[in-house]
Amino acid sequence: MGVPTVGAAASNIVKFAIGYNFEYTNGMPIRYVGFPFPVAGQPKSVHHKYIYESNDFVSGKPMMKAVINALTNPLTEDEKYAGPPKGSAEEPRLLPPDTEDALQQLFKDKDWTDYNPIILPTEERVAAMLKGTSKTPDTVVKRLGYPGGPRNLTVEKVAVCAVMAGAKPKMFPLILAVAQSVPFGNSTSSMANMILVNGPIRNEIGMNYKSNVMGPHNEVNSVVGRCFTLLSKSAGNLHAGKTTFSSLGSSIQYNNLCIAENEEALPAGWQPTHVLKGAKATDSTVSVGTGWSYISSVGEVQRWYPPQYLLRDYMRSLTGMGATIVMDPAVAGILHDEPNSFATKADLSKWLANNVEKTVASYWGNGVISTMNSSMAIQGMEPLATQYKQVKEAPDTMMKPFQAGQVNIVVAGAGQTTWFVTDFGVGRGNSVDAWR
Amino acid sequence: MRRKQFLTSLITLVIATVAFVGIARVDAQQKPLITVMNPVITSKMMDRTPLSPRLDKLEGKTIYLVDISWGGPEAGYSVFEEMQSWFAQNIPSLKVVIKRKTGMYTADDPKLWAEIKQNANAALIGISG
Repeated sequence: MGVPTVGAAASNIVKFAIGYNFEYTNGMPIRYVGFPFPVAGQPKSVHHKYIYESNDFVSGKPMMKAVINALTNPLTEDEKYAGPPKGSAEEPRLLPPDTEDALQQLFKDKDWTDYNPIILPTEERVAAMLKGTSKTPDTVVKRLGYPGGPRNLTVEKVAVCAVMAGAKPKMFPLILAVAQSVPFGNSTSSMANMILVNGPIRNEIGMNYKSNVMGPHNEVNSVVGRCFTLLSKSAGNLHAGKTTFSSLGSSIQYNNLCIAENEEALPAGWQPTHVLKGAKATDSTVSVGTGWSYISSVGEVQRWYPPQYLLRDYMRSLTGMGATIVMDPAVAGILHDEPNSFATKADLSKWLANNVEKTVASYWGNGVISTMNSSMAIQGMEPLATQYKQVKEAPDTMMKPFQAGQVNIVVAGAGQTTWFVTDFGVGRGNSVDAWR
Repeated sequence: MRRKQFLTSLITLVIATVAFVGIARVDAQQKPLITVMNPVITSKMMDRTPLSPRLDKLEGKTIYLVDISWGGPEAGYSVFEEMQSWFAQNIPSLKVVIKRKTGMYTADDPKLWAEIKQNANAALIGISG
Protein backbone atom coordinates (compact mmCIF):
# COMPACT_ATOMS: atom_id res chain seq x y z
CA MET A 1 0.00 0.00 0.00
CA GLY A 2 3.00 2.25 0.42
CA VAL A 3 2.12 3.47 3.92
CA PRO A 4 3.43 2.05 7.20
CA THR A 5 1.11 -0.73 8.25
CA VAL A 6 0.77 -2.98 11.26
CA GLY A 7 -1.05 -6.32 11.28
CA ALA A 8 -3.21 -7.38 14.22
CA ALA A 9 -3.97 -10.97 15.11
CA ALA A 10 -4.59 -13.09 18.18
CA SER A 11 -1.64 -14.94 19.68
CA ASN A 12 -2.59 -18.23 18.00
CA ILE A 13 -2.31 -16.71 14.51
CA VAL A 14 0.47 -14.19 15.03
CA LYS A 15 3.15 -16.88 15.51
CA PHE A 16 2.24 -18.22 12.06
CA ALA A 17 2.08 -14.73 10.57
CA ILE A 18 5.55 -13.64 11.64
CA GLY A 19 7.10 -17.07 11.09
CA TYR A 20 5.90 -19.51 8.49
CA ASN A 21 3.65 -17.12 6.58
CA PHE A 22 6.40 -14.51 6.31
CA GLU A 23 9.02 -17.02 5.16
CA TYR A 24 6.97 -19.05 2.70
CA THR A 25 3.99 -16.93 1.59
CA ASN A 26 4.56 -13.17 1.52
CA GLY A 27 8.27 -12.56 2.13
CA MET A 28 7.53 -9.28 3.89
CA PRO A 29 8.51 -9.00 7.58
CA ILE A 30 5.23 -7.32 8.52
CA ARG A 31 5.13 -5.92 12.03
CA TYR A 32 2.33 -7.50 14.02
CA VAL A 33 0.74 -6.86 17.37
CA GLY A 34 -0.50 -10.02 19.07
CA PHE A 35 -3.78 -9.93 21.00
CA PRO A 36 -4.89 -12.44 23.64
CA PHE A 37 -6.76 -15.38 22.13
CA PRO A 38 -9.64 -15.44 21.29
CA VAL A 39 -10.74 -12.13 19.78
CA ALA A 40 -13.61 -13.14 17.47
CA GLY A 41 -17.00 -13.21 19.12
CA GLN A 42 -15.83 -11.85 22.46
CA PRO A 43 -17.97 -9.15 24.15
CA LYS A 44 -17.02 -5.50 23.79
CA SER A 45 -15.96 -5.47 27.46
CA VAL A 46 -13.27 -8.08 26.67
CA HIS A 47 -12.08 -6.10 23.65
CA HIS A 48 -11.89 -3.04 25.92
CA LYS A 49 -9.58 -4.95 28.27
CA TYR A 50 -7.43 -6.10 25.38
CA ILE A 51 -6.82 -2.46 24.35
CA TYR A 52 -6.43 -0.89 27.78
CA GLU A 53 -4.99 -3.66 29.98
CA SER A 54 -3.25 -6.29 27.82
CA ASN A 55 0.27 -6.55 26.55
CA ASP A 56 1.25 -7.23 22.95
CA PHE A 57 2.12 -10.92 22.52
CA VAL A 58 5.07 -10.05 20.22
CA SER A 59 6.88 -7.22 22.03
CA GLY A 60 5.51 -7.60 25.55
CA LYS A 61 4.64 -3.87 25.59
CA PRO A 62 1.19 -2.46 26.46
CA MET A 63 -1.04 -3.02 23.43
CA MET A 64 -1.43 0.53 22.14
CA LYS A 65 2.20 1.41 22.90
CA ALA A 66 3.10 -1.58 20.72
CA VAL A 67 0.85 -0.30 17.90
CA ILE A 68 2.51 3.11 18.03
CA ASN A 69 5.99 1.54 18.11
CA ALA A 70 5.19 -0.65 15.12
CA LEU A 71 4.24 2.42 13.09
CA THR A 72 6.99 4.79 14.26
CA ASN A 73 10.12 2.83 15.24
CA PRO A 74 12.66 3.10 12.40
CA LEU A 75 13.12 0.04 10.18
CA THR A 76 15.92 -2.39 10.96
CA GLU A 77 18.39 -3.39 8.25
CA ASP A 78 16.62 -6.76 8.03
CA GLU A 79 13.26 -5.05 7.46
CA LYS A 80 14.78 -3.02 4.62
CA TYR A 81 16.23 -6.08 2.91
CA ALA A 82 15.02 -6.95 -0.60
CA GLY A 83 16.18 -10.01 -2.49
CA PRO A 84 16.47 -13.75 -2.21
CA PRO A 85 15.58 -15.36 1.14
CA LYS A 86 18.23 -16.18 3.67
CA GLY A 87 18.74 -19.68 5.08
CA SER A 88 16.54 -21.72 2.72
CA ALA A 89 17.37 -25.40 3.27
CA GLU A 90 17.04 -28.31 0.83
CA GLU A 91 15.25 -31.42 2.11
CA PRO A 92 17.33 -34.57 1.42
CA ARG A 93 15.70 -37.48 -0.40
CA LEU A 94 17.07 -39.93 2.19
CA LEU A 95 17.30 -39.41 5.94
CA PRO A 96 20.54 -40.20 7.82
CA PRO A 97 20.76 -43.92 8.76
CA ASP A 98 19.60 -44.83 12.28
CA THR A 99 18.02 -47.66 14.26
CA GLU A 100 14.36 -48.50 13.80
CA ASP A 101 13.45 -47.20 17.26
CA ALA A 102 15.29 -43.93 16.69
CA LEU A 103 13.64 -43.42 13.31
CA GLN A 104 10.17 -44.13 14.71
CA GLN A 105 10.89 -41.47 17.31
CA LEU A 106 12.27 -39.05 14.70
CA PHE A 107 9.08 -39.27 12.64
CA LYS A 108 7.06 -38.46 15.78
CA ASP A 109 9.41 -35.64 16.79
CA LYS A 110 8.99 -34.11 13.34
CA ASP A 111 5.17 -34.46 13.59
CA TRP A 112 5.08 -36.52 10.39
CA THR A 113 2.75 -39.15 11.86
CA ASP A 114 -0.61 -39.50 13.64
CA TYR A 115 1.41 -40.81 16.64
CA ASN A 116 0.54 -44.41 15.91
CA PRO A 117 3.49 -46.55 14.77
CA ILE A 118 4.33 -46.30 11.09
CA ILE A 119 5.99 -48.63 8.60
CA LEU A 120 9.40 -47.11 7.97
CA PRO A 121 9.66 -46.05 4.30
CA THR A 122 12.82 -47.80 3.16
CA GLU A 123 13.79 -47.48 -0.50
CA GLU A 124 12.85 -51.15 -1.04
CA ARG A 125 9.36 -50.71 0.40
CA VAL A 126 8.78 -47.49 -1.56
CA ALA A 127 9.97 -49.22 -4.76
CA ALA A 128 7.46 -52.02 -4.13
CA MET A 129 4.69 -49.45 -3.61
CA LEU A 130 5.58 -47.74 -6.88
CA LYS A 131 4.78 -50.99 -8.69
CA GLY A 132 1.11 -50.23 -7.91
CA THR A 133 1.01 -47.54 -10.61
CA SER A 134 2.24 -47.13 -14.18
CA LYS A 135 3.31 -43.55 -13.41
CA THR A 136 6.97 -42.67 -13.00
CA PRO A 137 8.17 -41.61 -9.52
CA ASP A 138 8.74 -38.02 -10.61
CA THR A 139 5.21 -37.56 -11.98
CA VAL A 140 3.64 -34.53 -10.33
CA VAL A 141 0.42 -35.41 -8.51
CA LYS A 142 -0.29 -31.87 -7.36
CA ARG A 143 1.41 -28.50 -7.21
CA LEU A 144 1.20 -27.54 -3.53
CA GLY A 145 1.26 -23.94 -2.44
CA TYR A 146 -0.01 -23.48 1.07
CA PRO A 147 1.22 -23.88 3.70
CA GLY A 148 4.91 -24.01 2.91
CA GLY A 149 5.54 -22.33 -0.37
CA PRO A 150 5.29 -23.69 -3.91
CA ARG A 151 6.43 -27.29 -4.34
CA ASN A 152 5.57 -30.44 -6.30
CA LEU A 153 3.95 -33.45 -4.65
CA THR A 154 5.30 -36.35 -6.70
CA VAL A 155 4.28 -39.97 -7.06
CA GLU A 156 7.40 -40.96 -5.10
CA LYS A 157 6.52 -38.74 -2.12
CA VAL A 158 2.99 -40.16 -2.09
CA ALA A 159 4.51 -43.67 -2.13
CA VAL A 160 6.63 -42.78 0.91
CA CYS A 161 3.50 -41.83 2.86
CA ALA A 162 1.57 -44.84 1.55
CA VAL A 163 4.28 -47.11 2.99
CA MET A 164 4.19 -45.21 6.28
CA ALA A 165 0.41 -45.70 6.51
CA GLY A 166 0.69 -49.45 5.92
CA ALA A 167 -0.74 -49.50 2.40
CA LYS A 168 -0.39 -52.27 -0.18
CA PRO A 169 0.53 -51.56 -3.85
CA LYS A 170 -3.03 -52.47 -4.94
CA MET A 171 -4.29 -49.45 -2.95
CA PHE A 172 -1.78 -47.05 -4.51
CA PRO A 173 -3.88 -45.74 -7.46
CA LEU A 174 -6.64 -44.81 -5.00
CA ILE A 175 -4.12 -43.16 -2.68
CA LEU A 176 -2.67 -41.16 -5.59
CA ALA A 177 -6.18 -39.94 -6.45
CA VAL A 178 -6.74 -38.98 -2.81
CA ALA A 179 -3.37 -37.19 -2.82
CA GLN A 180 -4.70 -34.76 -5.43
CA SER A 181 -6.69 -33.22 -2.56
CA VAL A 182 -3.70 -32.80 -0.19
CA PRO A 183 -3.58 -31.02 2.22
CA PHE A 184 -6.85 -31.74 3.89
CA GLY A 185 -9.30 -28.95 4.70
CA ASN A 186 -8.16 -27.18 7.77
CA SER A 187 -9.02 -23.99 9.65
CA THR A 188 -9.23 -22.51 13.12
CA SER A 189 -12.63 -24.21 13.30
CA SER A 190 -12.77 -28.00 13.72
CA MET A 191 -12.74 -28.68 9.99
CA ALA A 192 -12.49 -32.29 8.85
CA ASN A 193 -12.84 -34.38 5.71
CA MET A 194 -14.74 -37.26 4.19
CA ILE A 195 -13.33 -39.65 1.58
CA LEU A 196 -15.98 -41.31 -0.58
CA VAL A 197 -15.00 -44.01 -3.07
CA ASN A 198 -17.16 -45.15 -5.99
CA GLY A 199 -16.80 -47.57 -8.89
CA PRO A 200 -15.09 -50.91 -9.51
CA ILE A 201 -12.00 -50.07 -7.43
CA ARG A 202 -14.06 -50.69 -4.28
CA ASN A 203 -14.32 -54.40 -4.99
CA GLU A 204 -10.92 -54.75 -6.67
CA ILE A 205 -9.07 -53.72 -3.51
CA GLY A 206 -11.55 -55.01 -0.95
CA MET A 207 -13.07 -51.85 0.54
CA ASN A 208 -15.86 -52.15 3.02
CA TYR A 209 -19.20 -50.62 2.12
CA LYS A 210 -21.39 -53.00 4.07
CA SER A 211 -21.39 -53.95 7.75
CA ASN A 212 -19.82 -51.42 10.13
CA VAL A 213 -18.78 -49.30 7.13
CA MET A 214 -17.89 -46.21 9.18
CA GLY A 215 -16.00 -48.14 11.86
CA PRO A 216 -12.40 -49.46 12.12
CA HIS A 217 -13.13 -52.85 10.56
CA ASN A 218 -11.44 -52.92 7.18
CA GLU A 219 -7.79 -52.62 6.18
CA VAL A 220 -8.28 -50.56 3.00
CA ASN A 221 -10.76 -48.07 4.51
CA SER A 222 -8.47 -47.69 7.50
CA VAL A 223 -5.15 -47.35 5.68
CA VAL A 224 -6.30 -45.09 2.83
CA GLY A 225 -8.02 -42.73 5.28
CA ARG A 226 -4.93 -42.66 7.49
CA CYS A 227 -2.65 -42.05 4.51
CA PHE A 228 -4.50 -38.80 3.70
CA THR A 229 -3.63 -37.55 7.17
CA LEU A 230 0.03 -38.57 6.93
CA LEU A 231 0.30 -36.93 3.51
CA SER A 232 -1.33 -33.74 4.77
CA LYS A 233 0.98 -33.54 7.78
CA SER A 234 4.32 -34.44 6.18
CA ALA A 235 4.22 -33.45 2.50
CA GLY A 236 1.35 -31.03 3.15
CA ASN A 237 3.11 -29.29 6.03
CA LEU A 238 0.18 -29.10 8.45
CA HIS A 239 1.47 -28.95 12.01
CA ALA A 240 -0.40 -27.90 15.14
CA GLY A 241 0.61 -24.48 16.41
CA LYS A 242 2.80 -23.88 13.37
CA THR A 243 0.48 -24.02 10.39
CA THR A 244 -2.84 -25.18 11.94
CA PHE A 245 -4.63 -23.39 14.76
CA SER A 246 -7.85 -25.20 15.66
CA SER A 247 -8.72 -25.19 19.34
CA LEU A 248 -10.81 -28.37 19.53
CA GLY A 249 -9.50 -30.08 16.39
CA SER A 250 -11.31 -33.18 15.15
CA SER A 251 -10.80 -36.89 15.74
CA ILE A 252 -12.27 -37.42 12.26
CA GLN A 253 -8.80 -36.44 11.00
CA TYR A 254 -7.41 -39.81 12.11
CA ASN A 255 -9.24 -41.59 9.29
CA ASN A 256 -11.13 -38.89 7.36
CA LEU A 257 -14.36 -40.91 7.22
CA CYS A 258 -12.98 -43.09 4.44
CA ILE A 259 -15.87 -45.16 3.05
CA ALA A 260 -17.20 -46.58 -0.20
CA GLU A 261 -20.76 -46.49 -1.47
CA ASN A 262 -22.82 -49.69 -1.49
CA GLU A 263 -23.74 -49.26 -5.14
CA GLU A 264 -25.00 -52.84 -5.38
CA ALA A 265 -27.74 -52.11 -2.82
CA LEU A 266 -29.13 -48.90 -4.35
CA PRO A 267 -32.89 -48.96 -4.96
CA ALA A 268 -34.01 -48.99 -8.60
CA GLY A 269 -33.61 -45.51 -10.10
CA TRP A 270 -31.10 -44.34 -7.49
CA GLN A 271 -27.73 -43.71 -9.17
CA PRO A 272 -24.29 -44.03 -7.54
CA THR A 273 -22.88 -40.71 -6.35
CA HIS A 274 -20.09 -40.57 -8.95
CA VAL A 275 -22.59 -41.13 -11.78
CA LEU A 276 -24.69 -38.22 -10.52
CA LYS A 277 -21.53 -36.10 -10.60
CA GLY A 278 -20.86 -36.92 -14.27
CA ALA A 279 -18.73 -40.09 -14.24
CA LYS A 280 -19.61 -43.41 -15.85
CA ALA A 281 -20.68 -46.30 -13.63
CA THR A 282 -17.57 -48.17 -14.74
CA ASP A 283 -15.28 -45.31 -13.67
CA SER A 284 -13.56 -45.43 -10.31
CA THR A 285 -13.50 -42.13 -8.43
CA VAL A 286 -12.76 -40.71 -5.03
CA SER A 287 -14.31 -37.54 -3.69
CA VAL A 288 -12.73 -35.73 -0.77
CA GLY A 289 -15.31 -33.54 0.92
CA THR A 290 -14.68 -30.87 3.52
CA GLY A 291 -16.98 -30.28 6.46
CA TRP A 292 -17.15 -30.46 10.22
CA SER A 293 -19.92 -32.63 11.64
CA TYR A 294 -21.86 -35.84 11.44
CA ILE A 295 -24.91 -36.80 13.41
CA SER A 296 -26.25 -40.33 13.78
CA SER A 297 -29.93 -41.24 13.69
CA VAL A 298 -28.95 -43.24 16.77
CA GLY A 299 -31.87 -45.68 16.46
CA GLU A 300 -33.95 -47.28 13.80
CA VAL A 301 -36.72 -45.74 11.72
CA GLN A 302 -40.14 -45.65 13.38
CA ARG A 303 -43.22 -46.35 11.26
CA TRP A 304 -45.15 -43.26 12.41
CA TYR A 305 -42.28 -40.90 11.47
CA PRO A 306 -40.83 -41.71 8.03
CA PRO A 307 -37.07 -41.13 7.76
CA GLN A 308 -37.25 -37.98 5.64
CA TYR A 309 -38.85 -36.15 8.58
CA LEU A 310 -36.14 -37.05 11.09
CA LEU A 311 -33.46 -36.32 8.46
CA ARG A 312 -35.08 -32.90 8.02
CA ASP A 313 -35.11 -32.30 11.78
CA TYR A 314 -31.47 -33.25 12.21
CA MET A 315 -30.32 -31.24 9.19
CA ARG A 316 -31.54 -28.04 10.84
CA SER A 317 -28.44 -28.19 13.03
CA LEU A 318 -26.03 -28.16 10.06
CA THR A 319 -24.51 -24.92 8.77
CA GLY A 320 -26.27 -24.99 5.40
CA MET A 321 -23.05 -24.92 3.40
CA GLY A 322 -23.60 -28.45 2.14
CA ALA A 323 -24.79 -31.85 3.28
CA THR A 324 -24.05 -35.49 2.61
CA ILE A 325 -26.42 -38.06 4.04
CA VAL A 326 -25.02 -41.56 4.53
CA MET A 327 -27.90 -43.97 4.80
CA ASP A 328 -28.26 -47.69 5.06
CA PRO A 329 -29.80 -49.52 2.06
CA ALA A 330 -32.73 -50.35 4.31
CA VAL A 331 -33.46 -46.63 4.80
CA ALA A 332 -33.00 -46.00 1.08
CA GLY A 333 -35.55 -48.74 0.42
CA ILE A 334 -38.12 -47.21 2.76
CA LEU A 335 -37.65 -43.79 1.17
CA HIS A 336 -37.85 -45.23 -2.34
CA ASP A 337 -40.92 -47.38 -1.83
CA GLU A 338 -44.53 -46.31 -1.29
CA PRO A 339 -45.82 -44.33 0.46
CA ASN A 340 -42.67 -42.13 0.54
CA SER A 341 -41.91 -42.76 -3.14
CA PHE A 342 -38.67 -40.87 -3.70
CA ALA A 343 -37.94 -42.28 -7.13
CA THR A 344 -34.43 -40.80 -7.30
CA LYS A 345 -31.81 -39.37 -4.98
CA ALA A 346 -32.50 -35.98 -6.57
CA ASP A 347 -36.16 -36.16 -5.49
CA LEU A 348 -35.11 -36.67 -1.90
CA SER A 349 -32.49 -33.89 -2.10
CA LYS A 350 -35.13 -31.51 -3.46
CA TRP A 351 -37.62 -32.43 -0.72
CA LEU A 352 -35.02 -31.85 1.98
CA ALA A 353 -33.94 -28.51 0.48
CA ASN A 354 -37.58 -27.39 0.46
CA ASN A 355 -38.39 -28.62 3.95
CA VAL A 356 -35.30 -27.98 6.07
CA GLU A 357 -35.79 -24.58 7.66
CA LYS A 358 -34.11 -22.62 10.38
CA THR A 359 -34.29 -19.06 11.68
CA VAL A 360 -32.13 -16.39 10.09
CA ALA A 361 -30.60 -15.76 13.51
CA SER A 362 -29.53 -19.41 13.77
CA TYR A 363 -28.17 -19.48 10.20
CA TRP A 364 -26.18 -16.26 10.58
CA GLY A 365 -25.25 -17.14 14.14
CA ASN A 366 -22.71 -19.56 12.72
CA GLY A 367 -19.29 -17.91 12.51
CA VAL A 368 -18.26 -19.62 9.27
CA ILE A 369 -21.48 -18.57 7.50
CA SER A 370 -21.09 -15.07 8.84
CA THR A 371 -17.44 -14.88 7.73
CA MET A 372 -18.10 -16.23 4.25
CA ASN A 373 -21.41 -14.58 3.40
CA SER A 374 -21.59 -11.28 5.27
CA SER A 375 -19.57 -9.28 2.77
CA MET A 376 -21.93 -10.36 -0.02
CA ALA A 377 -24.91 -9.43 2.19
CA ILE A 378 -23.44 -6.01 2.96
CA GLN A 379 -22.92 -5.45 -0.77
CA GLY A 380 -26.63 -6.13 -1.37
CA MET A 381 -26.64 -9.64 -2.84
CA GLU A 382 -30.06 -11.24 -2.34
CA PRO A 383 -31.39 -13.16 -0.49
CA LEU A 384 -28.40 -12.73 1.80
CA ALA A 385 -28.89 -8.96 2.17
CA THR A 386 -32.50 -9.31 3.35
CA GLN A 387 -31.64 -12.16 5.72
CA TYR A 388 -28.79 -10.19 7.17
CA LYS A 389 -31.11 -7.28 7.99
CA GLN A 390 -33.64 -9.71 9.48
CA VAL A 391 -31.05 -11.01 11.95
CA LYS A 392 -31.59 -7.82 13.96
CA GLU A 393 -35.07 -6.80 12.85
CA ALA A 394 -36.90 -10.16 12.76
CA PRO A 395 -34.50 -12.88 13.98
CA ASP A 396 -37.14 -15.63 14.08
CA THR A 397 -37.85 -15.36 10.35
CA MET A 398 -37.55 -18.83 8.80
CA MET A 399 -35.26 -19.49 5.83
CA LYS A 400 -34.19 -22.51 3.79
CA PRO A 401 -30.42 -23.01 4.23
CA PHE A 402 -29.91 -25.68 1.54
CA GLN A 403 -30.25 -25.85 -2.22
CA ALA A 404 -31.11 -29.25 -3.70
CA GLY A 405 -27.77 -29.53 -5.49
CA GLN A 406 -25.96 -29.22 -2.18
CA VAL A 407 -27.62 -32.27 -0.62
CA ASN A 408 -25.83 -35.51 -1.50
CA ILE A 409 -27.24 -38.93 -0.75
CA VAL A 410 -24.83 -41.84 -0.22
CA VAL A 411 -25.94 -45.40 0.45
CA ALA A 412 -23.69 -47.59 2.59
CA GLY A 413 -24.15 -50.26 5.23
CA ALA A 414 -25.62 -53.71 5.50
CA GLY A 415 -29.28 -53.57 6.44
CA GLN A 416 -30.34 -51.66 9.52
CA THR A 417 -32.66 -48.66 9.37
CA THR A 418 -30.08 -46.11 10.55
CA TRP A 419 -28.36 -43.13 8.92
CA PHE A 420 -26.04 -40.18 9.41
CA VAL A 421 -26.49 -36.59 8.33
CA THR A 422 -23.22 -34.77 7.74
CA ASP A 423 -22.14 -31.36 6.45
CA PHE A 424 -19.41 -32.69 4.17
CA GLY A 425 -19.52 -31.28 0.66
CA VAL A 426 -18.87 -34.18 -1.67
CA GLY A 427 -17.89 -32.96 -5.13
CA ARG A 428 -17.16 -34.38 -8.56
CA GLY A 429 -14.20 -36.37 -7.33
CA ASN A 430 -10.81 -37.41 -8.66
CA SER A 431 -10.29 -40.23 -11.13
CA VAL A 432 -8.67 -43.34 -9.67
CA ASP A 433 -8.27 -44.87 -13.12
CA ALA A 434 -5.92 -42.07 -14.15
CA TRP A 435 -3.42 -43.37 -11.59
CA ARG A 436 -3.49 -47.09 -12.38
CA MET B 1 32.28 -69.46 56.98
CA ARG B 2 29.45 -66.94 56.62
CA ARG B 3 31.94 -64.31 55.50
CA LYS B 4 33.27 -66.65 52.77
CA GLN B 5 29.72 -67.33 51.54
CA PHE B 6 28.96 -63.61 51.48
CA LEU B 7 32.11 -62.82 49.47
CA THR B 8 31.35 -65.62 46.99
CA SER B 9 27.81 -64.27 46.47
CA LEU B 10 29.07 -60.72 46.04
CA ILE B 11 31.66 -61.75 43.42
CA THR B 12 29.02 -63.76 41.54
CA LEU B 13 26.66 -60.77 41.54
CA VAL B 14 29.35 -58.44 40.23
CA ILE B 15 30.33 -60.86 37.44
CA ALA B 16 26.67 -61.32 36.47
CA THR B 17 26.08 -57.55 36.41
CA VAL B 18 29.14 -56.89 34.27
CA ALA B 19 28.13 -59.67 31.89
CA PHE B 20 24.56 -58.31 31.57
CA VAL B 21 25.69 -54.74 30.88
CA GLY B 22 28.18 -56.03 28.33
CA ILE B 23 25.52 -58.06 26.51
CA ALA B 24 23.16 -55.06 26.51
CA ARG B 25 25.87 -52.85 25.01
CA VAL B 26 26.67 -55.36 22.30
CA ASP B 27 22.93 -55.69 21.58
CA ALA B 28 22.58 -51.90 21.20
CA GLN B 29 25.64 -51.73 19.01
CA GLN B 30 24.43 -54.58 16.83
CA LYS B 31 20.97 -53.09 16.13
CA PRO B 32 21.02 -52.57 12.39
CA LEU B 33 20.95 -49.07 10.98
CA ILE B 34 18.22 -48.37 8.47
CA THR B 35 18.07 -45.75 5.74
CA VAL B 36 14.60 -44.42 5.02
CA MET B 37 13.11 -41.91 2.63
CA ASN B 38 12.11 -38.39 3.62
CA PRO B 39 8.36 -37.67 3.36
CA VAL B 40 8.89 -33.90 3.33
CA ILE B 41 9.17 -31.79 0.19
CA THR B 42 11.54 -28.85 -0.01
CA SER B 43 9.52 -25.66 0.25
CA LYS B 44 10.64 -22.56 -1.59
CA MET B 45 10.98 -19.54 0.66
CA MET B 46 9.65 -16.30 -0.80
CA ASP B 47 11.86 -13.47 -2.02
CA ARG B 48 12.04 -10.74 0.57
CA THR B 49 10.10 -7.47 0.19
CA PRO B 50 11.04 -4.51 2.41
CA LEU B 51 8.62 -2.67 4.67
CA SER B 52 7.45 0.87 3.99
CA PRO B 53 9.40 3.50 5.94
CA ARG B 54 7.88 4.35 9.33
CA LEU B 55 6.48 7.68 10.53
CA ASP B 56 8.34 9.87 13.00
CA LYS B 57 5.12 10.37 15.02
CA LEU B 58 1.35 9.84 14.76
CA GLU B 59 0.32 13.31 15.90
CA GLY B 60 -1.50 15.21 13.16
CA LYS B 61 -1.65 12.17 10.87
CA THR B 62 -4.46 9.94 9.53
CA ILE B 63 -4.67 6.21 10.28
CA TYR B 64 -7.07 3.68 8.73
CA LEU B 65 -8.16 0.79 10.96
CA VAL B 66 -9.28 -1.98 8.60
CA ASP B 67 -11.55 -4.78 9.79
CA ILE B 68 -11.15 -7.90 7.69
CA SER B 69 -14.39 -9.29 9.22
CA TRP B 70 -12.71 -12.48 10.38
CA GLY B 71 -15.39 -14.49 12.20
CA GLY B 72 -18.10 -12.18 10.84
CA PRO B 73 -18.58 -8.41 10.63
CA GLU B 74 -19.43 -8.09 14.32
CA ALA B 75 -16.83 -10.54 15.65
CA GLY B 76 -13.89 -8.19 16.07
CA TYR B 77 -15.27 -4.78 15.09
CA SER B 78 -15.36 -3.44 18.65
CA VAL B 79 -11.57 -3.88 18.86
CA PHE B 80 -11.32 -1.04 16.34
CA GLU B 81 -13.91 1.05 18.16
CA GLU B 82 -11.90 0.64 21.36
CA MET B 83 -8.71 1.62 19.51
CA GLN B 84 -10.43 4.70 18.10
CA SER B 85 -11.52 5.65 21.59
CA TRP B 86 -7.99 5.13 22.96
CA PHE B 87 -6.48 7.29 20.23
CA ALA B 88 -9.07 10.05 20.87
CA GLN B 89 -8.01 10.16 24.50
CA ASN B 90 -4.25 9.80 24.00
CA ILE B 91 -3.45 11.26 20.56
CA PRO B 92 -6.41 13.57 19.83
CA SER B 93 -4.76 15.10 16.77
CA LEU B 94 -4.67 11.69 15.04
CA LYS B 95 -7.57 11.23 12.61
CA VAL B 96 -8.90 7.67 12.82
CA VAL B 97 -10.98 6.10 10.05
CA ILE B 98 -12.50 2.65 10.57
CA LYS B 99 -13.22 0.64 7.41
CA ARG B 100 -14.53 -2.84 6.69
CA LYS B 101 -12.70 -4.58 3.88
CA THR B 102 -15.00 -5.92 1.15
CA GLY B 103 -15.11 -9.62 0.40
CA MET B 104 -13.98 -12.48 2.58
CA TYR B 105 -11.00 -11.94 4.84
CA THR B 106 -8.74 -13.64 2.30
CA ALA B 107 -9.96 -11.57 -0.65
CA ASP B 108 -7.96 -8.70 -2.11
CA ASP B 109 -9.48 -5.21 -1.94
CA PRO B 110 -7.43 -3.03 -4.32
CA LYS B 111 -9.95 -0.17 -4.17
CA LEU B 112 -9.49 0.16 -0.42
CA TRP B 113 -5.70 -0.13 -0.65
CA ALA B 114 -5.71 2.71 -3.20
CA GLU B 115 -7.91 4.80 -0.90
CA ILE B 116 -5.51 4.23 1.99
CA LYS B 117 -2.52 5.12 -0.14
CA GLN B 118 -4.21 8.37 -1.13
CA ASN B 119 -5.76 9.44 2.18
CA ALA B 120 -3.83 7.80 5.01
CA ASN B 121 -0.40 8.05 6.55
CA ALA B 122 -0.64 4.66 8.29
CA ALA B 123 -2.87 1.62 8.60
CA LEU B 124 -3.67 -1.22 10.95
CA ILE B 125 -5.25 -4.34 9.44
CA GLY B 126 -6.86 -7.17 11.42
CA ILE B 127 -8.01 -9.02 13.30
CA SER B 128 -7.95 -12.79 13.17
CA GLY B 129 -8.04 -15.32 15.95
